[in-house]
Parts: sequence; structure tokens; C-alpha cells
Amino acid sequence: MTMIDEDVLINALNDVADTFVVSSEAPDRIVAEAAANEPPRRSHHVPTVISQPSRGRAYLVAAALVAVIASISVPLFRSEGNPNRAVVHGGPPPFGTSAQKLPLGGLKGYSAPLAPRPGSQKGTTITASGAATTSTGATSGVTSQKIESNGSIALAVDKGHVGAAFSSLNKLATSDGGFVASTQANAGSPRPDTFSYGTIVLEVPQRNFARLVAQAQRVGRPTSVSTSSNNVTAQYVDLQAHISALVASRRQYLVIMTKATTIDGILAVQSQLDALQSQIEQLQGQLNVLSHETTYGALTITVSEVGHHAHKASPLSGFARAWHDSVKGFFAGFEWLLRLAGPALFAVLTVGGLWGLARYVRRALRRRRI
Amino acid sequence: MPDDLQVWLAECYPQSVRTAYLILGNRLDAEDAVQESFLRAWKFRDSLSRESSFKPWLYRVVVNTCNSKLRHDIPRREGRVNDVNLVDIATNDDLPGRVALSNDVMCALRDLPVHLRVVVVLRYYADLSERDIAIAIARKQGTVKSRLNEARTRLALHPALRTDASRVPATSKEVNG
Repeated sequence: MTMIDEDVLINALNDVADTFVVSSEAPDRIVAEAAANEPPRRSHHVPTVISQPSRGRAYLVAAALVAVIASISVPLFRSEGNPNRAVVHGGPPPFGTSAQKLPLGGLKGYSAPLAPRPGSQKGTTITASGAATTSTGATSGVTSQKIESNGSIALAVDKGHVGAAFSSLNKLATSDGGFVASTQANAGSPRPDTFSYGTIVLEVPQRNFARLVAQAQRVGRPTSVSTSSNNVTAQYVDLQAHISALVASRRQYLVIMTKATTIDGILAVQSQLDALQSQIEQLQGQLNVLSHETTYGALTITVSEVGHHAHKASPLSGFARAWHDSVKGFFAGFEWLLRLAGPALFAVLTVGGLWGLARYVRRALRRRRI
Repeated sequence: MPDDLQVWLAECYPQSVRTAYLILGNRLDAEDAVQESFLRAWKFRDSLSRESSFKPWLYRVVVNTCNSKLRHDIPRREGRVNDVNLVDIATNDDLPGRVALSNDVMCALRDLPVHLRVVVVLRYYADLSERDIAIAIARKQGTVKSRLNEARTRLALHPALRTDASRVPATSKEVNG
């Protein structure tokens, strides 16, 4: 690459600059003007934090880090430390799902997940005795709490006793005022390597649901029990309100219909009425389903012969378990990384943004100073 | 009061005003710019204590003022005349070839973009180091280096310096890269 020689450049610039005869009066003029414009002496106040770049930057970075860590850790602690926070801390039970695994071997003292908190008069309690009580607090008074309950139990019975277990369960349901919603059974042959198993779904009134859960476990040896309850009051009330509004609209349209005189007008109103009717029926259907679900609790019971379960649940050997744990840990690591990626990205963006802002402010201040 | 200012002026005014003159190419603009610069520098002298050295700081003020003039004042003024007149140099120097060369260099310098012209003047007239130039123009040292290289390359390729074949070998050199 060709470049001009530095000496040539220096000489040329000096030659040109030498042609400039510096006026001796100019400095005096500047001094005079500076004296005239001298403001009352005050220090040019620049915030200390910003005026000292390294210190200010350190403060900003530290503040950003604290903010980022707080924004990440607080939600994590709140969500992980106490998943049922809304249930535990005051107020009515949340309109959501709560579920709990029950210990095997009975339901004595079992309270449904939506049991009221100590000292609270609100909520729904379903006790093992089957007494379901729903009390309403300040927020209710319009509609009682609507709780839907579901559960599943896996029972193991001796070989050849699946049919008898089904009969017992059937009797339990009918005695509790419920019914059998569905059954499915697979009968094995007399050969020792085949097994019978089946599933039965029982529905009983909500107040008897807990009792049914307790009684069903006595039919065989429970291998797993789980129940869940949803408070669907909000959904229920919402549907009711929606239907009421639509019904009111329909009433208005009917009034308009009586006043319509032209065919076009009648047809237009009729069209609106049809649409409203359709919506009302659709919502009413949903309400009915919800009402049924909150009236009856559904318990799904899987009954199988003992050998069937034993065959399926073969214990892992030491190496197999180690391998299984290793693979599980590998994917857990990925999950962990993925979970951290979002907060990390947020942290990087926040710190980067603050750093850029600080840099901009610092430059602007320096520019202003000059 | 402004004893310090008088010291500043005694030490730096001539070189500052000539630097501004080389950047702006006009005597009156240069005097205006430097006067304004000194007043500004004096006004904000408190911030000087936080700067590492005085000279680059003052040149930054001068360069900023020159840039401001080139951006706002000079383009709005009609009939601006660059008064670089090197004929006067002939009286100081017996080499007419040198006068002509300086004239051509100035002509090429004037055609450079301002950001390149500033670094050339600061480096080869004001004799600031690359580090000080970086402070003066508020850019990184690497930027200063690349600007100097680009400026020197452009100057070497300028028609005013290329047409005279007899001078080209004397004013340019081959460098790698």
C-alpha cells in the first residue's frame, strides 16, 4: 500500500502553519472575556458515582447483578419452596387444581386438599367418615363451593378374585348412592402365566367420595392411591353469569320480535335469536357437565391379580438402576440448563443494557463537561 | 483571577490556533474556534483535575469546537474562502519545490474527510501521540491508527500529489500490509 511519507507531511504542515501569524492581542481578548464571563465560583457538580468511571461502573454492575439475582431467585423460592402457597396462606381456596398422593394403608384422618386452614371458616372439608361440609365465607353467599373430586386406586387381589372384587366395588357404589360409570375386564386363562385384571369407574355423590375411597381400599391390597380435587366455583359462576346475560338478551330480542313488522326485520331478529339460543344451549350443556362432575365424584379402580403386578414391576438390578439413574440425570441436566437459559439471557440483557446506558451517560457527561 | 488561563494561553494558544487553522483552513474561523475553546476549557476547568493530562484534554475541546464549526457554522455561511496561501512560505524558504509540495499537501489535506484530517493534523503538526489523539477525539487508539493509515494512503493517492511524477517517489514509500 502506498502512503505519504511522514516527514513530508510534517514539513508541509509546519510550513503551512508557519504562515499563520498569531495575533498577540487574541490571548488578551480571551483573558478579558473570561474575566467578564466568570460566573460565581461553583463546582461543576457531577454525581460522584458517575464521574468516577470505574467506581460508577462497579456500582452499576453490582446493582444490576443484585436486581437480576433477586428477580430470578424470588420467583423460584416462591414457586419451589411452597407450591401450595395459595392454599396454605389465607383467603378462600384457589380456583385451581390441587392433588395429593395418599399414603397407602388407609385414609384415616384424610382430608381432601381443599380442607380449610386452621382458624379459617371458609372452604370445603371431606372427611374419611364421608361427611362433606361446605361453608361459605365472605366471598360466597351467592353460590356454594363447587368441588369436583377424582381419584384412582390400584388394587391387587389374589388369583381368581378379580370378579369378586368387581362385585364388591359395585355394591359399594350403589350403597353409597352412586353407580358404576364403566367397567373393563380382561379375564386370564387358568394357566399360571396369565392374569386377570380390569378397571371399574365408580361415581358417588361428593359427600360420600372419601368414604368410597376408604372402603374401596379394603377390597384388595392397594398398591397406589391418588385423589385430586378441583374447585370449579369460578368456572361455574362464570358460566351461570354468561347464561343469564344471554337469556336476558334473548328476552330483549323476543320483545323486539313482537314489534317487528317487516319480513326482513323478523328474519334478522330470528337469526339473532337462533344464535343466542345456540350459545345458551352450549353453555347450559357445559354447566350441566360441570354440575354433574361436582355432584358426583369419580373413582377409577384398577384391579389386578397379584402376579400381574409382580410381573410388571420387576426390580432393577444395581447396574440397571445405575444406568437408569445416569440417563435420568443426563436429561435432568439438560432440563436444568434449559431452565437456567431464560434467566441467564435475561441477566445478560439486563447487564448489557445497564452497561450500555452507563457508558452512554458517562460519555454524555464527559461531552457536557467540555 | 485567570493567571492559570494566561499560562495556558502562553503555552498552548499558538499551537492550538494553528492546529485549528489546519483543520478549518480559515484564519478567522480558527481564531474564533480557539477563543471559544479556551473560554469553554476555562469554564469547565474543574473537570480537568479528573483528566490524565492537560494537552489532550485541551485539544479535545479544540477539536470539538472545530467539528462544531464545520458542522453548523461554516456550511451555513456563503462564500467561504480557504485562505491557506503558501506563497508566503517562499519568503521563508529558498526551495520553491517545497512550497509547491506543501501547497499540494494542503490541497490534498483539505479534501480529506474531517475525521481523517483531524488525526493527521494532531499527529503530524500538534505532535500528539496516538494515545493522546485517542483522548482528544474520544476514540480508541486502534481507531486512531487506522484513521492515520487511511489518511496517509488517501493523501498519497490524491491527484495533486500523483500528477507530479517527479515528486511522487520522494513523497511516498511502500509499506507492507
